[in-house]
Amino acid sequence: MAHNKVNKGGRPPDKKMLSRTLILMLVCGLAAFSVLIGRLFYLQIIKHSEYEALAIEQQLRETVLDNGRGTIYDRNMNILAISADVETIYISPAEIAMHGEDANLIAEGLSEILGVSREKILEMSEDTSSWYKTVARRVEADVAEKVREFKNEYSLKGIKIEADTKRYYPYGSLASHVIGYTGYENIGLSGMELSLDNALSGEKGRVVKIKNAYGTDMLYTKFEEYIAREEGRDAVLTIDSSIQYYLEKHLKQAIADYDIQNGAAAIAMDVNTGEILGMASMGNFDPNNYQLLGEKDQQLLDEVSNEEEKENLRATLQQKMWRNKAISDTYEPGSTFKIITLAMALEEGLVGENEHFYCGGRISVIGDAAGKGRKCWKTTGHGDQTLTQCMQHSCNVALIQIGQRVGADKFYDYVEAFGLFDESGIELGGEADSLWWNEEIFCDENNLTQLAAASFGQTFTITPLQLIRAVSACVNGGKLVQPHFVKGFVDDSGKIISTDEQFVSKKVLSESTSESIREILEQVVCDTKEGTGKNAYVAGYRIGGKTGTSTKTVLEADGTKEYIVSFIGFAPADEPEICILVLLDNPSSKTGLYISGGNMAAPTVGKMFADILPCMGIMPVYTEEEKELMDKVVPDVVGLSLGEAEKIIKETGFSCEVRGEGEYISDMLPSPGNAVASKSQILLYLGDSKQGNDREVPSLIGLSYAEAVAKLAYNDLYASTDFCGLPYDETILVSEQEVIQGTMVKAGEVIELELIDVDTAIYGLY
Amino acid sequence: MEYSENRLLDLSYAHRPKKGKVDTPFAVLTLLLLAIGVMMVLSASFARAYYDPDKKATYYFTRQLCFALSGCGIMYLASLIPISFFRRWAFPSLACALALLLLVLVAGTEANGAKRWFSIAGVSFQPSEIAKLAVILFDAQLICKYKGKMHSFAYGVFPFALVAVLVVGLLILEPHLSASIIILGVTAALMFMGGTSLKWFVVLGSVAVAALAIMAFGMDYSSDRISAWLDPFADSSDTGYQIVQSLYSIGSGGLSGLGLGQSRQKNLYLPEEHNDFIFAVVCEELGFIGACAILVLFALLILRGFWLAMHCRDRYSFLVCGGISSLLAIQVILNVAVVTNLVPCTGISLPFFSYGGTALWLQLGEMGIILSASRRVNEKINKGSK
Repeated sequence: MAHNKVNKGGRPPDKKMLSRTLILMLVCGLAAFSVLIGRLFYLQIIKHSEYEALAIEQQLRETVLDNGRGTIYDRNMNILAISADVETIYISPAEIAMHGEDANLIAEGLSEILGVSREKILEMSEDTSSWYKTVARRVEADVAEKVREFKNEYSLKGIKIEADTKRYYPYGSLASHVIGYTGYENIGLSGMELSLDNALSGEKGRVVKIKNAYGTDMLYTKFEEYIAREEGRDAVLTIDSSIQYYLEKHLKQAIADYDIQNGAAAIAMDVNTGEILGMASMGNFDPNNYQLLGEKDQQLLDEVSNEEEKENLRATLQQKMWRNKAISDTYEPGSTFKIITLAMALEEGLVGENEHFYCGGRISVIGDAAGKGRKCWKTTGHGDQTLTQCMQHSCNVALIQIGQRVGADKFYDYVEAFGLFDESGIELGGEADSLWWNEEIFCDENNLTQLAAASFGQTFTITPLQLIRAVSACVNGGKLVQPHFVKGFVDDSGKIISTDEQFVSKKVLSESTSESIREILEQVVCDTKEGTGKNAYVAGYRIGGKTGTSTKTVLEADGTKEYIVSFIGFAPADEPEICILVLLDNPSSKTGLYISGGNMAAPTVGKMFADILPCMGIMPVYTEEEKELMDKVVPDVVGLSLGEAEKIIKETGFSCEVRGEGEYISDMLPSPGNAVASKSQILLYLGDSKQGNDREVPSLIGLSYAEAVAKLAYNDLYASTDFCGLPYDETILVSEQEVIQGTMVKAGEVIELELIDVDTAIYGLY
Repeated sequence: MEYSENRLLDLSYAHRPKKGKVDTPFAVLTLLLLAIGVMMVLSASFARAYYDPDKKATYYFTRQLCFALSGCGIMYLASLIPISFFRRWAFPSLACALALLLLVLVAGTEANGAKRWFSIAGVSFQPSEIAKLAVILFDAQLICKYKGKMHSFAYGVFPFALVAVLVVGLLILEPHLSASIIILGVTAALMFMGGTSLKWFVVLGSVAVAALAIMAFGMDYSSDRISAWLDPFADSSDTGYQIVQSLYSIGSGGLSGLGLGQSRQKNLYLPEEHNDFIFAVVCEELGFIGACAILVLFALLILRGFWLAMHCRDRYSFLVCGGISSLLAIQVILNVAVVTNLVPCTGISLPFFSYGGTALWLQLGEMGIILSASRRVNEKINKGSK
C-alpha cells in the first residue's frame, strides 16, 4: 500500500512518454512560437509602413471648413448676396444617454427656442447609437446664443452647436435671375452664384483630424493638420440695383396693366461697354427661399389634390419661375429687328437717308406664289414715305424692299457679324441657341421669301440679349460689345480689380451709319404725330427706339394668336449710354387695350427711362413747350395783396378766380406747394370768405386729359400727372384716377391721374 | 474503479502538513502574464466602453480585475488540492461537461447564430471551457488505466476518439469550431504523451484534416472565413474587415509600438479588441519588442509546465500537467495565429488577456492544478536533496 500511497497516479512516466513530451515541448514551446515571432516580425517590421499608412488613412477624417463665400456687390457696392455666420444645432443622443441627461428637458428647451416640435426631438434622442442628429440647420446668432445659454444653464453635453454659414440676399427677389441662389453646403446652384462659384468659394480650407470609427474625436490621440484655404473673392457685378429696381417695378406694373400671360423680360445694358445694368425676368423668386412659388402659382398648386401630379406641377412651376427669359427664351423679334436691316442697308450704301419708299399695302418677292404678296400691317398702305417715316411707321413693305436690296448673302453675313448666330457668351448659364434658316435655304436665289420675312424680324428666333447686343452696336458707333455681368473682384486691400479689359468689342458698322440710325430712331419716339414709339417719350430726354409686335408663328399654325410685344430704346439719343429692351409675352385680349409694342412695351420703357436716367446722372432738359405743359407748383400768395397775388399766379402759369371781398388774400386753393396741371385756375379767397363744403370726386376715366382737368375744376378740384411729354390732345385719355369716383374730399384736393395714349391708328402690329 | 463516495470527497491530502512549495517560476510567470493581461484589458477596452452610453470607461477593466483577483484565489485553492482528487473527479466532471454541452443547446444564449453560452446573473460562461479541462482529466485517467496497452487501437485510440467524438459532436451542434479544434488538439497531445502508436496519428490526422476541410468549405460562414484568410483585403469592409483591422493594428505598432494606452485602432476600428483580438492591441501599443516579450513569457510558462510535467512522480500528474500545458500552448498559438492571419479566423481567446471572467477562472484553476502537482515535484526534489 505504501507503493500506492506514493504513486497515486500510477508509476512515474516512462522514457517513451518523457521523450515524446520533450518533442511536444519543443513543438509547442519553441517551434510554434518561433513561427509566431517570425510572423510578427514580418507584419510589424517589414509591413509596418504599409499597414500604418493604411491604418492612418482610415483614421484620418477630413473636415471641409466653410471659409465663407465671397460677397456679391452691385456696381455701387451695394450688397446683393452675403454670407453670414450662423450656427447649426444638433444633439448627440449617445452622449445624452451616456451622461444620463434628461432628454425631456432637452426636447422641451430646444423646442421652445428653435420652434422644432418637442416630439421630434424626443424621437431623435431615442436613437442612442447616434452621435449626430440635426435639430435646426443654420440658425441666427441670437437664437444660437439662447441655445448656448440653455446648454450652459443645465450643463448639457448632449446639445451641440456647430458653426455654419448662410447666404443672405438683402434685396430679396431683386435681380434674382442674375444673382441666382446657393443650395445646401453653400454651393452656387444658379445665376452668378453658379457662374462665379469657384471665385466666390475660393479653395476651401480643410482640417484633417484623427477620428475613431464613429467619426468623433479619438481618445488620447490628438492629431490635427490644417490645410490652408484660399479665401473666396468678393465679386462686383455690373448690375445697378436702382436700375434693376425700376426695371422690375415697371415690368411688374406692365404685367398687371396689360394682363401679361406668359411672363416678361427686361434688359438694361450700357451700350458702350456691354455691362448689363439690369436684367429682369418675371415671375421671379426670392433667392433666400428659392423653392417658394409665387402666390398665383401656389394657388394653382393648391388646387391639385393628387400628390404625384402636385409634385410634377410644382417642378414645372419652379422651373418656369427660375427660367431667365432674357437669355433662355428665344422669340421672333419682329419689328425691333428692322433696325438691323436698316443698319445693313445704310452701311452698304444701298439706301440714302433722303430716299423715298412707296407702300401700297402689299409686295411680292421672288419665290412668292403668283398674286400672293406680303401684306403690310397697314393693308391700305403707307403710301409714299421717307426712310425715317418707314421706320416711324414700321412699314413692312418698305423694309422688305430694303432687305431685298441688301440681298440674302450679305444679309446672312451681317446676321453673323451681329453675333446673332452665336450665344452672347455672357457669364450666366442657360443661354438659348438662336434658330435661323440654314444658309442654303436662306440664300436661295430663286426664293427670297425667307429674306423678305427676316427683313422685318420674322421666321427666326433669337434671345432678347442677342437683340439688345445687336441694336446697341447699331447706335453706339458700330461696336458689337460683349455683354457681361462681372465688373471686377475686390482684392485683399479692398481695391476693385477690374475685369473690363477682357471684354473686347468688335467693329461691325461705321460711325456715320450709326449716327443715321440714331437720328432715325429718335424720330420714331419723339415724333408725336407719326412715331409708333411715341409712348416711350420722356419729357426732357432724347430717346430713340423701335417697337415690335410679333405673332408667334408656331402657334399661328394651330389658329392660336399670341403676341410678344416689345420695345427697344436707348438714351440719350445723340450719345447713347443705356439701352433698354422690354418684352411682354402674350398680353391678354381681355384688357380691351390694343395689343402692340407701341401701346404696351413703349410706355413701360418710357417710365423706366424716366426713373433710370436721373439715377445715371442724366438730368432732363425740357423744351419751352414741355415746360408749359408740365404740372406747376402752386405758389404761396396768402397774405399778399390781390394785385401782387394775381401777378405771381399768372407768372407761374396758372389763371385765378377771386372769391369774396377784401384787400388781402386770406386763403387759397389748392394749398401752396402742390403741383397741379398747368393752366389750372387757382381760387383766391379775400377777407373772411370761406372755402366750400366737401366735394365728390367725379368719374374721370375715359375722358381726355383736358376734359378731366375741366371737370375737376368745376368741382373746385385739381389734377396732377406725371408729365408724359405728349401734347394733351384727344387721344390722351385718363386710364386711372388716384381717388376713386364718389369719394368725398375737401375742396382744392389734388387728384393724381394716369394717362394713356390710345392713338392706335399709327401703331404698327409689326 | 474501486473508489467510493467518501473517497470522492476526500481532501485529506490538502490538510497534510509540510507539503512542498508551489513552483515559483511557474507561479510568477502566471501572475506576470495575468497582470499584463488585465492591464491590456484596461487599455484595449477603454475606448469601446467609453463610447458605450450604458457603460463606464473602466467597465470591462473593473470586472476583469475582479475576476483576476478571485481567479488568483481559485488558483491558490486548486494548488492546495491533491491531483488524486482531480483524478477521482475525472469521470464525473466529463459527464457533467457533456450534460452542460447538451443543456446549452437547449437553454443557452444565442449569439451570432451560435449557442455557446449560459448567462446566469449577469455572468456568462461557456461549458466548452469546462469540457476542455474535463477531457484532459478523463483522458489522463484512461491513459493511466490502459498503461501497457496504449499501442493498440482498442485501448490507445478508440476510447479517446469516443470521448472526443462525443464532446466535439456536441460542440459542432452549437456550433463552436475553435473549441472543437482545441479539444481535438489536446486529445492528440495526451495520446501522443500517453504512448499511442504513431501510425494512428497519421491515420487520425488525415481524417481530422479531411473533416476540417469538409467543414470549412461546406459551411457558408466558414468558407467566407477561408476567402477572408487567403486575401483579407479583397473584401476589407465586410468579411475581411476584422482581420484587416487586426493587421493594421499590428502593423501600426512597428518595432517599439505606439505606447501603452495609445492604440489608435482600438478606437472602435478593431472589433473584439478586448476579447479575441486583444493581442493586436498589444502589438500596436507595445510594438514588436513588447509582443515578443509577451510571447516569450507564454513560451516560458508553457515550457515550465511541460518541465514540471516531466518531473512529476506519478503518471496521472504528468499527463494532467502536460495536457494543461498543451491546452495553454494550443490556445496561445492559435489565438496569435488568428490575429496575425496565419490561420483562418476563428474565435479563440488569449489566455489571461482576453476579457472574460469564467474562462479566466478556469484558466487560473488549471494553472492551480499544475501548481498543485508542482508541490509534489518540489517535495520529491527536496527529498532527493536530503
